[in-house]
Amino acid sequence: MKTELLIVGAGAAGIAAALSAWEAGCRDILLVDRREKPGGILPQCLHEGFGLATYGMELSGPEYTDRITERLAHTGVRLALGTEVLKVRGDRTAVLSDRGGLTELHFERLILAAGCRERSIGSLPVAGTRPAGIFTAGQAQEMMNLRGQDLGREVLILGSGDLGLIMARQFVLAGKHVIAVIEKESRCGGMARNVRRCIEPYRIPIRCRTTVSAIHGEGRICGVTLRHLDSGAEELLPCDTLVTALGLIPDRELVRGLGDPDWLFLAGNCHRVHDLADSAVAEAETVGTRVGGELAV
Amino acid sequence: MRGFDLVVIGGGLLGCFAARNLCRRQLHIALIEAREDVCTGVSRANTAIVYPGYDHKPGTLKAEMTVRANARFAELCAELDVPFSRCGSLMLSCGEKADAVLREKYKNGLSMAVPGLRLLSGEEARELEPSLTAGVTSALYAPTAGTVNPWELGIAAVENAAANGAELFLNNRVLGIRKTAEGYRIETDREVFACRAVLNCAGLYADRVQELLFPSEVHIVPDGADYLILDRAAANKPTHIIQYEPEDGGKGFNAVPTVEGSLLLGPSERANELDFAVSERGIDFVRERAAFVLPGLDLGELIRSFAAVRPNPRREDGSSIGSFVIENPAPGFWSMIGIKTPGLTCADELGRFAAEKAAAFLNAGPNERFDPRRRGIKKARGMSWEQRAAAVRSDPDYGEVVCCCEDITKAEVLEAIRRGATTLDAVKRRTGACMGRCQGSRCQQKLLALLARELGVPEDAVTKDGAGSEVLGGGRHED
Ligand SMILES: Cc1cc2nc3c(=O)[nH]c(=O)nc-3n(C[C@H](O)[C@H](O)[C@H](O)COP(=O)(O)OP(=O)(O)OC[C@H]3O[C@@H](n4cnc5c(N)ncnc54)[C@H](O)[C@@H]3O)c2cc1C
Ligand SMILES: Cc1cc2nc3c(=O)[nH]c(=O)nc-3n(C[C@H](O)[C@H](O)[C@H](O)COP(=O)(O)OP(=O)(O)OC[C@H]3O[C@@H](n4cnc5c(N)ncnc54)[C@H](O)[C@@H]3O)c2cc1C
Repeated sequence: MKTELLIVGAGAAGIAAALSAWEAGCRDILLVDRREKPGGILPQCLHEGFGLATYGMELSGPEYTDRITERLAHTGVRLALGTEVLKVRGDRTAVLSDRGGLTELHFERLILAAGCRERSIGSLPVAGTRPAGIFTAGQAQEMMNLRGQDLGREVLILGSGDLGLIMARQFVLAGKHVIAVIEKESRCGGMARNVRRCIEPYRIPIRCRTTVSAIHGEGRICGVTLRHLDSGAEELLPCDTLVTALGLIPDRELVRGLGDPDWLFLAGNCHRVHDLADSAVAEAETVGTRVGGELAV
Repeated sequence: MRGFDLVVIGGGLLGCFAARNLCRRQLHIALIEAREDVCTGVSRANTAIVYPGYDHKPGTLKAEMTVRANARFAELCAELDVPFSRCGSLMLSCGEKADAVLREKYKNGLSMAVPGLRLLSGEEARELEPSLTAGVTSALYAPTAGTVNPWELGIAAVENAAANGAELFLNNRVLGIRKTAEGYRIETDREVFACRAVLNCAGLYADRVQELLFPSEVHIVPDGADYLILDRAAANKPTHIIQYEPEDGGKGFNAVPTVEGSLLLGPSERANELDFAVSERGIDFVRERAAFVLPGLDLGELIRSFAAVRPNPRREDGSSIGSFVIENPAPGFWSMIGIKTPGLTCADELGRFAAEKAAAFLNAGPNERFDPRRRGIKKARGMSWEQRAAAVRSDPDYGEVVCCCEDITKAEVLEAIRRGATTLDAVKRRTGACMGRCQGSRCQQKLLALLARELGVPEDAVTKDGAGSEVLGGGRHED
């Protein structure tokens, strides 16, 4: 099989790149995502706060997704969902896998819009046991918002970036007790807007200059040792759930080792982590317009 | 009450391989394990090295078994369809004292006929393994050393035992053993078993299990150890097993390129702890050692740290025991107590050894129908594209990737559950899902849903590793 333009990842960036490439004149575009629905991480972001720059109003993640996917329907971009891109080779072929089989695909240009992954607790040299009840923030968000799952009642959030703050609020709104947000730096890592909206109204303590030095619990987590980084003092904080927001890592696994070939382009969070979907989209539009123009018929 | 010829207590590597080898005889076997799965104890957390056999005193059971086990290892893994990487090992020294230790080990190895051993200069060692510290003064190269995934091996053995007629009883903790006219009566927290003979392979608790009926001359004094795992993408990973013999005679250090492609670093040493909790000091120790031995390694590629517990065998007077301890306190009762390194390497040999003794006691003839072969779960990863395409054609679930870090498909997960996995960790051990760089943050929820569906239980009943480790709802609360 062949396609002019292969786009890996149908999140905000992949969709925006596809739309722009189409508008620039490329007529053979395949947009692939392993998920069953388009939008990437947006459908799990039920909070409002998307699209202020683009649409002049604040939309929820699903609303934002609807706006961009709706535009896709008016193009000839082919969307392959539930499809994993297993491999990208230097000879401009890719291997795709879905329930129907394996497909080897030749492409002219590739836009990687694969998003990012979360740093997990495993990457920190934390002492103690390895019990159940530890989730990354994005994972917790997916489980609560897309799967309707209840994770726990006494929740500690490790990391005060936007994701940590948004999840803190979400647990409170779900009727859970958020014990604290733990942050190793001397100030909160998230945007002021999110502190105002997610933390202050609920009086959630942000404990700066502290970190989790050990995890406790057989079976299920029952608490952590909190270390005060300045004094070295430690205290025990009981909890039944630990949510980690330790940062996002652009996911470029697929093109690792391929160097910087002239047919490869990066867009969205796999290029660099964007705080705002609008900014991921703007970047992807630039890439899409350029690549689409090169491939225009 | 259930009746058996022989009951094996403990489903670690030793129990699983004992059961497998007992099936070579006409014996009705039960394997009783306290936990929800096999290989969750010492066999889950160790260095994963298949030793070449130069470490032990020539002529001892340990030395002989290790050399023999190593020579048979590829065949064993082929029978059980378990990946084995004979990557070779380099034991390093960075000074005269350790040089002498290496020469001693080299001599040991020669007299044990360990194949291919070579003493290398520091320069030669660095030629073979450029990632090594410039401080290396000599190295002992053993091309036959290798690595295997320990729980994968144990699970394969128990599946093979079950296919040959052994019965597996999980979630059964042995609480009492009594002598009867016919043999022994074993009481667990769930059931009662009658048998003619007992093989105690209870790992860290083997001394206590023996003491349920007999005194034990050997006691286990546990100590803890910590390990780190680096992502397969970590720069400057060694391709051989690296073992460092410190000049001060202190704790050595290993770096093992695992069959999964990650790099295992460790262990540290901590005194007197029966605790699978990682220690901060231990982590620091391993990091320091790693930075010294393999200076180019990027320790920022850490994906997990975990703890292990060593079952050190000691006599009443506190002195430690260097050999494998196989106690036989009464006719028809054997205990393997405090089997540490190289218990993984020798698991099948020790299993044979115990099975021979038991078979002689029970007067059991050979089982002509014994089939040593077991087929593993067919993994998508590593297939050629043609093979993989064919796999998807015959089962569409092979087309659906569930764990994207490790490239594990839904078909593999479902097969693991069919083979008896009931927890997230059991699926992880059988498929490798969740073992990669995202540590399950993208696939655990999918595994949870599949487990609930296949087991016919609500999602909030699914556990990480047995009762009390429920993933949803904050775990089970008393109220
Ligand atoms: C919790 C959270 C809250 C946020 N809140 C806001 C907010 O309030 N306002 C705002 O403007 N922005 C917010 N953002 C930021 C914004 O949502 C993101 O920057 C943007 O959505 C990223 O889009 P993306 O397309 O780059 O990545 P993603 O949405 O992650 O899309 C990448 C897609 O690629 C797919 N993929 C990856 N590899 C493969 C492969 N090999 N084969 C097939 N498919 C693959 C993935 O399945 C995924 O669907 C938030 C982000 C997060 C995480
Ligand atoms: C730190 C460390 C590193 C090692 N590295 C290596 C290496 O690199 N190479 C090598 O060859 N060997 C190595 N070994 C040795 C090897 O790991 C062990 O010899 C082997 O795993 C021992 O297995 P086991 O079956 O005795 O113990 P376990 O795996 O602990 O199994 C014992 C089982 O008995 C069960 N049990 C306990 N009490 C009861 C009860 N009352 N009722 C029912 N069941 C019970 C437990 O739940 C457990 O599943 C290492 C060991 C350690 C500790």
